[in-house]
Amino acid sequence: MAFNDSLREMFAMIELEMRRLRHDRTEIYTRAVQPILWLAVYGTVMSHVRDIPTNGIPYIDYITPGVLLQSTIFVSVFYGLTIVWERETGILKRLLVAPASRYATVIGRAIASGVRAVVQALIIFPVAILLGVKFIPNPLYILAAFLMLFMISGGFAALSIFVASLMKTRERFMGIGQAMIMPLFFASNALYPISLMPPFLQSIAFVNPLTYAVDAVRGLMISGNVANVPADFVAVIVFDILIFTVASISFRKIIE
Amino acid sequence: MASAIEIAIEIKQLTKVYDGKVNALDGVDLTVKAADIFALLGPNGSGKTTLMRLLTTQFRPTAGVARAFGYDVVKDDAKVRKIIGYVPQEMSVWTDITGFENLLIYAKIYGVPSGQRKKSIWDALQSMGLDEVANGPVKKYSGGMIRRLEIACALLIKPRILFLDEPTLGLDPSARKAVWENLRSFKKEYGTTVFFNTHYMDEADLYSDEVAIINRGKIVKFGTASELKHSLHSEIISFSLADPGTDFKHPSTAAAPPRMLPGILERIKALNFVEDAAFNDSVLDVVVEDGEIALPAIIEVLRCDGILLDRIRSTRPTLDDVFLKYAGMRQPKTQGEVLHEASGIRQ
Ligand SMILES: Nc1ncnc2c1ncn2[C@@H]1O[C@H](COP(=O)(O)OP(=O)(O)OP(=O)(O)O)[C@@H](O)[C@H]1O
Ligand SMILES: [Mg+2]
Repeated sequence: MAFNDSLREMFAMIELEMRRLRHDRTEIYTRAVQPILWLAVYGTVMSHVRDIPTNGIPYIDYITPGVLLQSTIFVSVFYGLTIVWERETGILKRLLVAPASRYATVIGRAIASGVRAVVQALIIFPVAILLGVKFIPNPLYILAAFLMLFMISGGFAALSIFVASLMKTRERFMGIGQAMIMPLFFASNALYPISLMPPFLQSIAFVNPLTYAVDAVRGLMISGNVANVPADFVAVIVFDILIFTVASISFRKIIE
Repeated sequence: MASAIEIAIEIKQLTKVYDGKVNALDGVDLTVKAADIFALLGPNGSGKTTLMRLLTTQFRPTAGVARAFGYDVVKDDAKVRKIIGYVPQEMSVWTDITGFENLLIYAKIYGVPSGQRKKSIWDALQSMGLDEVANGPVKKYSGGMIRRLEIACALLIKPRILFLDEPTLGLDPSARKAVWENLRSFKKEYGTTVFFNTHYMDEADLYSDEVAIINRGKIVKFGTASELKHSLHSEIISFSLADPGTDFKHPSTAAAPPRMLPGILERIKALNFVEDAAFNDSVLDVVVEDGEIALPAIIEVLRCDGILLDRIRSTRPTLDDVFLKYAGMRQPKTQGEVLHEASGIRQ
């Protein structure tokens, strides 16, 4: 059955990424270094600046969700590089000649990227505790926060696959990737509240899915203010569905 | 009653124009029999890869149809994908995992049942002689090992048609031989149809049942390797005549007596398996269809006339000559050129 085929392919793609990760564990550690520095250095320095209104939350705690998401989404946004590489070699041609749907290929790989993000966050998480960040000790909240992290990372990986299928070459992809990553972080509430931004940035932040993810993770892990969390999840789910669809449709074109 | 020959691939007027300007395939007609090894031979840029990519459902033709075991590669693409294995021209395995893992991922994608999975994987690895290195990372494989791993991946599902785009590109002669021996025994066991692209003439000659030569997107010649060689009609036997006095006279004064020759030439030409004969510079060139039959008879004629032979050289056309002739890439001083000129003496 077609549905079973797709499911199987999705799991195969997830397994592939997991096996890759297992063969190169150092990558995941080295990628954890930068976010830990953000927390330890930037967070500590900025916490002496009293002007950022964080509702009484220590600044380092305030930015922890943002930094967690930043580090994992950075990986997702450049996931497309893997796809570009697979296109330059014959891997994608062969994969697309296998009896599997492009939806399964795209979604499977985006999910795999989401799983990778969770693993990476799990490494940063204990370090944040050691740095004195106080998480809300509610396992359900923590679980929901990780689910959000997983969903948003998967979404950005799909976005990256979409960009890869349009750009096709490494150079062009890198250009777009770099251009995406800055506004993504600075036009979101990852490092400071939206209310501090000029109106123009505010409107970008409003359509930036990362804003909703940060809001949810911050509510669930740090502030305990979960009133907006359901809405955040809806926003991210809509983003995921949209981007999974668009990426899947454009995927077959990548080998033409 | 003999059953009709089963057709594996049927291509009619297949055309592919890239971006509205590059005419990569220009009305290709081709039929490949089931359980044959078929070679598509052509120079760079002639459209081999394009044809294979169309057959493997990677994109749509601009016009024309192609079927694999009756399934249309456009309309029934999902069905086609289930019965084919494919190795692209470029490297196509993940290098950051092991060889075994590469096959494992494909086994899962193809839905090989979990009970059979291990066995199928080891069978495929073994048939390509990779069982000993299977658990090492592909990063550390040599080019030849990677190529064999790619083929093993394609053999995994025991496809009905195996598409190989330049399967031995960059391999040394012994590795090429090993790959082909493995492929042949696999084919023998499972009756797989093999369709491969190459620009190695000898490979097509040695391993294919049928060959097509493609040039500028058109099939210019089709048949078995020996039919193609025969299509050049000729084997040339060159007889260097010895002057009877050579042993005693100074070489500069020695020359074969030309006046003796016209009559002999006529008689040789009259032999019914001789197509033509010509004489110059004390060398008699005879164009024949089959040297093994013609040679004794010609020698007989020459001997009757008391002509002594110094040396006999026979030049058989190779697939190179066929290729060079039909792919229109003849260069001066190649064997093909000499042969072509030689066969021209008939006119
Ligand atoms: N994706 C593509 N887009 C545009 N043109 C292409 C594309 N692929 C191939 N071509 C062109 O189509 C023609 C046939 O190319 P193809 O790759 O099929 O040749 P080939 O016989 O496989 O050559 P080679 O022996 O070098 O692999 C060439 O002129 C090539 O430039
Ligand atoms: Mg090619």
